Amino acid sequence: MSRVPFYLRERLDEIRQRVLFEAYEAQKLPKWEQIILTWITLFSFWIVISGNTRIENLFIGGITTLVISLLMYEMLTDDIRQSGHIIEKILYISFFAIPQYLFIMAFRLIESNFKVAKHALLMDINPGIVKIKTDLHSDTGITILANSITLTPGTLTLDVNKKLGETYLYVHWISVETLNREIAGEKIKGDIERWLKKIFW
Amino acid sequence: MIEYFLLFLGESIMIFGTLGILRFPDVYTRLHAATKCDTGGAMTILIALAIASEASLLIKLKFLVLAFLIGLINPMVSHAIARGAYKYGIKPEVVVDMYARDNP
Repeated sequence: MSRVPFYLRERLDEIRQRVLFEAYEAQKLPKWEQIILTWITLFSFWIVISGNTRIENLFIGGITTLVISLLMYEMLTDDIRQSGHIIEKILYISFFAIPQYLFIMAFRLIESNFKVAKHALLMDINPGIVKIKTDLHSDTGITILANSITLTPGTLTLDVNKKLGETYLYVHWISVETLNREIAGEKIKGDIERWLKKIFW
Repeated sequence: MIEYFLLFLGESIMIFGTLGILRFPDVYTRLHAATKCDTGGAMTILIALAIASEASLLIKLKFLVLAFLIGLINPMVSHAIARGAYKYGIKPEVVVDMYARDNP
């Protein structure tokens, strides 16, 4: 790959990204399902934030959030890839995927707090910036993965690089254990990438 | 009873985060302490407040919305600060720097 001239490499990059995008574009959610998912999310936020369950308030909130979700449905759910009936999707996401994510992240966050306390007391740091590869390609998936990596113990995401249809993350690691890309990726990402690949592409 | 435990845990996490900000050597390691300890400490304190406050359920849920927003915004801000500091030219004190090797 390193011997390919520069102009050809850019062209190849373009073609590969298009092929990948089209392969995942086929399993995209239909438009009305996107609208329903956005509407449910926005409406639950409306109920929690307004804090009032009178019937007029719910009516106004329902109409407002429906208009907003008709206009901006693709901002929130454009990167979700999931097959099955719409009710199945709603139940899966709200009762299985999100609690699982919260359960994973709560323990990782507590663990990372204790680890920072240990590093601050003992000062046994050995920092380094390593590069890891992820299998995710969508913007939402990479954003959630990078934010989760920042909250997991000992790591902080510096930058994202997309090259030749593959995504690389630069991670500042407070105590470098290995330089091997696969082992480092497995240690840094953990369960979170496996969880994200069930929903995002 | 559990809210006092959570409150104490959050306060001690915040204290250790401050200690980390004061003791670590450069920007990036200090950001570790700032991000993780602020997020964990603030979320723990908010959950303790949500348990302890004597209000209706919908008002307790607002504390959880605040915790969710803190968990969403804090890592993004730390990523922005770290990348901005690197682009500005602050060299990290590290043993290996693959980012400098790929962006000469």
